[in-house]
Amino acid sequence: MRDNLFVNLALVFIPFSLTSIGGGIAIISGLQNEVVNVHGWITETEFVHLFAVSRTSPGPGTMLATALGWKIAGWSGAAVASLAFFLPSSLLCYAVFRFTNTHREKQWHRVMREGLAPVGTGLIIAGIISLFRLADGGLLALVIAGLSCALFFWKPKFPVLIVLALGGALAVLAWAWF
Amino acid sequence: MSLSEAPGSPKKPRLATLFMLCFKIGILSFGGGLTGWIYQEFVLRHQILSEDDFSSSVAIAQMLPGANVVNLAICIGELLRGTLGSIACFLGFLIGPFVAVIALLNVFDQLAAFEFLPVMFNGVAFAAMGLLLLTCIQGTQRAMRFPPSLIVVVLTAVLVGVLEWPLIPVVLSIAPFSIFIAWKRS
Repeated sequence: MRDNLFVNLALVFIPFSLTSIGGGIAIISGLQNEVVNVHGWITETEFVHLFAVSRTSPGPGTMLATALGWKIAGWSGAAVASLAFFLPSSLLCYAVFRFTNTHREKQWHRVMREGLAPVGTGLIIAGIISLFRLADGGLLALVIAGLSCALFFWKPKFPVLIVLALGGALAVLAWAWF
Repeated sequence: MSLSEAPGSPKKPRLATLFMLCFKIGILSFGGGLTGWIYQEFVLRHQILSEDDFSSSVAIAQMLPGANVVNLAICIGELLRGTLGSIACFLGFLIGPFVAVIALLNVFDQLAAFEFLPVMFNGVAFAAMGLLLLTCIQGTQRAMRFPPSLIVVVLTAVLVGVLEWPLIPVVLSIAPFSIFIAWKRS
C-alpha cells in the first residue's frame, strides 16, 4: 500500500514537471485538483496552508512540491515528490542545453547567444512586472525595491542577505509606525 | 565586444565551488529573486560567467518546463563544468530549500503568534526584487549599445509582462528576429 502511494505520488508530479512552462505558478490549480479532489490526500485548507508556507521558504517558488510530498507521506514522500517534480524537467533542460552547447565554438551559436540575450533580459523585466502586480505592495514595495536596487547598483558585490534583512526590517518599521 | 570565454578557460570553477555557490543561493534566497542572486554571484562577484551567456541561458531556461532558476542553474553548470557541473548545481540548489521548507512546515504554526512576520516577509521579497531590477538595468544598458537589441528587450517585456501574452509564442516570434539582427551585425 505504501509503495503504491509513492508510485502514485510520482505519477501525479511527473506530468506537472514537464508541463510547468513559465516557472510553475501556472500549475498550482491543476496540482490542487489532483491532490485534493482526485486523490483526496489532503484537504483544500491544508493545500492553501502548504502553499502559504512554501512561499516563505527560500529556493524556487515551486518548493510546494516538497511540502505536499512531506504532508502526504513524510520524508520519503517529500523526496519522491521533489524528485518527480524537479528531475524530469531538469533532464529535459540538460539534454536541450547539452545539445546546443556541443556547437558552442561555431559562429551560429555565438550569434544565437547574442540574439537570445536581449530576449532573456526582456523576460526578466516581464517577471518583475508580474511580481509587482502579484505582491500588491504599493509605495512600500517600490521604495524598498528601489533602495535595494540603488544599493546593488553602487555596490554590486554587497552581500544580498544583509539587503534582504534590511528590507524586512524596513517593512516592519513602516508597519509599526503607520 | 566581450564574447564569452571558450570552455577550458583559466577561470573554470571547481565543482565544489559551483555546488557551494548554488547551495548558498538556495538556502539563503528568502523572498525569491533567485535569478538576480545567480547574476550577482556568477557574473558580478565571481566573474565566471559572461553577461551574454547569462542572459541567453535565462531565455532558454524560461522557455523550457520546470522551475526557471533550476533550469538556469543546470544550464550554467553544463556551460562551466559539463555533466558533473549540472549535477553539482542541481543538487546544491535544491538540498537547502528541501530541508528548509520541511523545517518551516514544522514551526509555521508557532510562528503565527508573531504578527510582524508576514510584513517582514513582504519586505524581504521587495528587497529581493531590487536585485532583479539591477539585473534588468545592466542587461538593458548592455542592449543600449545596439539599438535594435533595446527594441527586443522592450518588446519582450511589454508583450509578456504588461499585456500578459503567453511566453512561448512571444519568444518564438521575437527570438528569430533578434538572432537575425545579431547575425546581420556580425
